[in-house]
Amino acid sequence: MMPLKVHWGSPGHWAIRLIWVAATIAFVVYIPTQTQPGTIGDMTVALELVAVAMALNLVMGYGGLISLGHSAYFGLGAYTMAVLVDHYGWSQGWTLYVAAAFGFVVGCLTSLPALRLKGVYLALTSIGLAVLFPQLVKWQKLEWLTDGARGIDNLQYDEIPVWPILGELDGRRGRAVWMYWLAVIVATIAYFICRGIVKSRVGRSLIAIRDNETAAAVMGVNRARTQTIVYGLSAAITATAGALFGIRINGVSPDQFDLILSITFVVIMVIGGGATLWGPVIGAFAYVVLEIRTREWGGGDSEGLVGVLFGWLKGSPATLILAVVLLVLMFVAPYGIIGLLKRLAAKFVVIVPSPAGTRSNVPPVEEGLDPSIDEPFPSVSTEETP
Amino acid sequence: MERFLDAVFLGLSSGAIYSLVALGLVVVFRGTGHLNFAAGEMATFSAYITWVVTTWTLFGDTGLPLWLATLAGMVFGFALGATTEVFIVSPLSKKSPLAVFVALIAILLGINAIDVGRWGAPPSEEIDSLFPNDPDDFVRLFGAVWRWEDIGTLIVTLVASALLFLLFGKTKIGLAMRAVASNSESSKLVGVPTKLVLAGSWGLSGSLAALAGVMVAGAQSQVTPTMMFTIFVYASAAATLGGLDSPIGAVVGGLSIGVLENVAAEFAPEWIGQEMKLSVALLCIFVVLFVKPSGLFGTERVERV
Repeated sequence: MMPLKVHWGSPGHWAIRLIWVAATIAFVVYIPTQTQPGTIGDMTVALELVAVAMALNLVMGYGGLISLGHSAYFGLGAYTMAVLVDHYGWSQGWTLYVAAAFGFVVGCLTSLPALRLKGVYLALTSIGLAVLFPQLVKWQKLEWLTDGARGIDNLQYDEIPVWPILGELDGRRGRAVWMYWLAVIVATIAYFICRGIVKSRVGRSLIAIRDNETAAAVMGVNRARTQTIVYGLSAAITATAGALFGIRINGVSPDQFDLILSITFVVIMVIGGGATLWGPVIGAFAYVVLEIRTREWGGGDSEGLVGVLFGWLKGSPATLILAVVLLVLMFVAPYGIIGLLKRLAAKFVVIVPSPAGTRSNVPPVEEGLDPSIDEPFPSVSTEETP
Repeated sequence: MERFLDAVFLGLSSGAIYSLVALGLVVVFRGTGHLNFAAGEMATFSAYITWVVTTWTLFGDTGLPLWLATLAGMVFGFALGATTEVFIVSPLSKKSPLAVFVALIAILLGINAIDVGRWGAPPSEEIDSLFPNDPDDFVRLFGAVWRWEDIGTLIVTLVASALLFLLFGKTKIGLAMRAVASNSESSKLVGVPTKLVLAGSWGLSGSLAALAGVMVAGAQSQVTPTMMFTIFVYASAAATLGGLDSPIGAVVGGLSIGVLENVAAEFAPEWIGQEMKLSVALLCIFVVLFVKPSGLFGTERVERV
């Protein structure tokens, strides 16, 4: 069967985009209105992860800079929130802005190694950041601020603000719905920041640096400024999501923000598909769905195939499955789930870009159903010259 | 002075562990140019296997002796490393370095998930130390306490590194390894079985990590899933300090970082103490990478443009 050809910017293309947007909005509204508080809570987790994965995608997918240090930014945001609420009596909503600002500054500062180092060396320093953060929080010189190894819990949260459009919000469900919408707002802002960066001069500079640093520098791209800004924005988004996380579980403790958390972020981003706008979204939801589905598996009392495969584990096999899926994906689909979906969609619909020069605006780098995938999984080495 | 020597002795033993893992990293990095991010978890996994083997009751009902189990753990570590190279690293190297990185991260995550899922919940797996470690097992040297356990760890490391240097310097296998490290294409042309050599390097790295894992577990008398996280960071700091492609650098780097952090913790308990020891290692990484990226003993990398 010949795939259907749709021209870029034609009514058909706009229809596809509209359906896509409508489906997304319908899903977002369906969750808090039609489902149980448990599901709302799970989807809130997914949305927090969406924001983090998008932030990581900026640095690692588009920028090609390996970062295993994002758990530190995440923890930084959560701690900023907890300290401000617990020690200084702030209201929780306002701490999000401070967390974002603080994250931006720290992100810019920690981007300095990225300006000099590449590949494994950069990965090493970022691992150092992830391992250092819990130790720093437990440090006795900072105990007056962070309460050391005990962490900060039982935060006083304010009354849920009354938003008439959301209807009655009270009790457990009310708080879940409120957290959900907060996460929706943060994830949406994160999406538009990423989209804005990727489709602007900064994003094109970033990709140019990733693909060939020397060529980019010759063309007049300011590497230091571009990467520092992107790092800062990425850390700011991650810190905001961290603050949301802290608000949702109503407390923080140092060991929640360990290296494994950073690795989980990377895995989510890669599974969804690096260097694409929707990859992190799909990755985060896939991760959460996997987590929910396998919650009852393992533990020795499951039956059938699941019991045979995972009966020897005491807990949930979610992380193990994730690791295996990631390994397999590296071989069969290095562009992640979204790469697979695009390949599938290309069998039915192909969006034909309009010829160069016929449009006033610059063609976007990538779009939802565009089958032409341009190396979303970049090589880090500079030895390979095209 | 006694305090200083105490810290030095303690540092030499923790440094010995870092050296072992760092040696493994260096062996792999020389061969394939990848940093084995899963080395720490391979060590933990092998330590768990060692623990499992000690519970086997082949002779009577006492279980196997620990040294035999350690050997079994090292063999397991070798197999783990070699399998990783043959089935994962080698095929993915052709695609992109980032794919190898992600795959190693996946292995790290998967092994950690197995450890946590199978053995993670309390009660934890108790394991003896390879060396005598009762409270009165120590010698006094210039008034400072040097525990047998620390001496043992240091000796095992030094012996292991000496054997490794003999392997590199005096045997045909070592010659092949050095050849592949120096120029993989040319050595393939003159008939060196490159693939076998690379698998061997990764296996060696796994064995060294396994030995380190058993000693770490012995020092804290139990195997825990997260015990190698910080040690991996220390080890990579040691490898960076010594130069990522120099075995002697790994040993010297590991020992000096061990001594440095313990002396710092001893003499600045307020500022560094036990919590911020790691910052010493990280500072080492940063300073080395910014001042002399090739490390103390590494070869300068020349990049052709």
